[in-house]
Amino acid sequence: MLAIYKKELRSYFNSMIGYVFMALFLLIIGLYFFFQNFIYSSANFEYTLASITFLFVIFAPLLTMRLMAEENKQKTDQLLLTSPVTATSIVVGKLLAVFSLYSLIMLITCFYPLILSLYGTVPFASAYSSILAFTLMGGAYLAIGLFISALTDSQIVAAVISFVVFLLTILMDGIAGLLPTDNKSAVMIFTAILLVICIVIYRMMHNLTIAVGVGVISAAGLICAYLLKPTLFDGSVANVLGWLSIVKRFDNFYYGIFDVSGLVYYISIACLFAFLTVQVIKKKRWS
Amino acid sequence: MIEVKNLTKRYGNQLAVNNLSFKVEKGQVLGFLGPNGAGKTTTMNIITGYISATEGTVMINGVDVFEEPEAVKKMIGYLPEFPPLYPEMTVREYLNFAADLKKVPKKERKEMVAKVMDSTMITQMADRLIKHLSKGYKQRVGLAQAILGYPELIILDEPTVGLDPKQIIEIRDLIKALSKNHTVILSSHIMQEVSAVCDMVMIIDKGKLILREKPENLSTRLGSTGGLRLSVKGNKEVIQTTLSRISRVDRIGIHEAVSEEILELTLHCSEKDDIREEVFYAMSEARTPILEMQSIRMSLEDIFLKVTGNSELIENGSIDNLAAGSMPELDSNAVVVGKNTDDTDKLEVDNNAGNL
Repeated sequence: MLAIYKKELRSYFNSMIGYVFMALFLLIIGLYFFFQNFIYSSANFEYTLASITFLFVIFAPLLTMRLMAEENKQKTDQLLLTSPVTATSIVVGKLLAVFSLYSLIMLITCFYPLILSLYGTVPFASAYSSILAFTLMGGAYLAIGLFISALTDSQIVAAVISFVVFLLTILMDGIAGLLPTDNKSAVMIFTAILLVICIVIYRMMHNLTIAVGVGVISAAGLICAYLLKPTLFDGSVANVLGWLSIVKRFDNFYYGIFDVSGLVYYISIACLFAFLTVQVIKKKRWS
Repeated sequence: MIEVKNLTKRYGNQLAVNNLSFKVEKGQVLGFLGPNGAGKTTTMNIITGYISATEGTVMINGVDVFEEPEAVKKMIGYLPEFPPLYPEMTVREYLNFAADLKKVPKKERKEMVAKVMDSTMITQMADRLIKHLSKGYKQRVGLAQAILGYPELIILDEPTVGLDPKQIIEIRDLIKALSKNHTVILSSHIMQEVSAVCDMVMIIDKGKLILREKPENLSTRLGSTGGLRLSVKGNKEVIQTTLSRISRVDRIGIHEAVSEEILELTLHCSEKDDIREEVFYAMSEARTPILEMQSIRMSLEDIFLKVTGNSELIENGSIDNLAAGSMPELDSNAVVVGKNTDDTDKLEVDNNAGNL
């Protein structure tokens, strides 16, 4: 694991991308910091962080696109997978490497509230808890990016898909607000989602029985639930989509609330996608 | 050391490896021989744990690859078909990383990397970026990676592809040196390579084991085709009528004339007959001097084609034509090494040159 961690971290700084990423990220944080906190004379650093969550959409794909896709393309995954290291340690090593690079930036931003404190009283607790949340949110995005990178052997494809997915997580809240909230259309929307999931399962496993089986059983469950207790579905679409909205979890930190469930949510997302990446790598053996 | 049992790999409906079973003893060098797409690479990928088998087991030192992959991977060094290199690393960085991956203790790492670079002759390239290396050097860096940590089992998928004749000899010598302390499996579609370094040859076609034999026994086991290749100076009709009078000659094949006066032909006879003397006296009586006479022995190529079911190619002599039109023999002698030097049939030499 350490070998892969070191190699990944070194390759970020061998190929400039590490420097470019850090410079741009810090530049944009600096600009927002200047405008939010100095021009508008606000003491809350969390406002600055809340207004730059869009940065992940642009920068996280840049960091994660090559992680697995490049190995797949250069066939160097063959070296990794025939070495005495587990798939888990490959994924954890890579995720930790990219997360370290990103944490380095967040470490630098830790100085910003201190700078602010020279000019007045700063709510340090909310500022640093928001930095912590922002760091973990980044971890969640990087894990998703790593997962997407493992699915393909083209960096460009990985970058584009990650970009779209990250954009969706930001827009999710808005989309959820536009959708109808009554229970009938909720069931219809869920059925449509189910159909998409079944198609994905079929595409990945090439097994019609499993895909149809999963589809029929879940659809039956869905309809039963609807017939027994239709109120269950009231406003459920917005709820479910809200679950997928990674950025929304940051709102509490924006209001100065230390939301443990939000932190747990970010860590869970990161672990879930790290786990899925391991499965993708293992699955390749069986294809 | 290695025991492969009923190994089968299916991709959809396509059978890549079909019920393959074999054993390799410790210290043996096993050569996989087969045309492209025969399942050599797939078999190697399964043994190294890179892909799984549909059916069957692979045991290395009594440990199952599918059950304890990490333990098995520790015992294996693998050079895949495409050397798995990171182009933006230098050779030394790459080998250090590989040594780290293979859990070579930090103290020994530097020394071992230096030693491995020395034995694969890449020391002078140590601080170059891999992306700037030529194909041959890349191949050698891949090989260096495979022998790093000196694992018990070294698996090499076409190790000499892309190397020049001198490098091929050097790599073969290296493989021979390695075989003193290691078990080696290598694949190739070049016969000379296999017969030069292997203790045992396995011919695979369409995922099936067709033949497993020691290289020196291969041609005796399959027998020779029987026959002579002649080049005679004189009138075509005179030569033909004289030869047809020899009762033991079954068939006369006439090749395209090199010049008007010299006739090249092949005499087919039953396998055990030695008709050389008879032909000599017949020709001398007819006053048509023999310029060249050579008995046809089955080369590895012929055996290969025979067992993989392409024997009609030999019958038609199309290999000969192919060989005749191929490269000059300048370098090719350098390539034929080891056991094969006594066997430098024109056919083999030429084909070898073509393979470079």
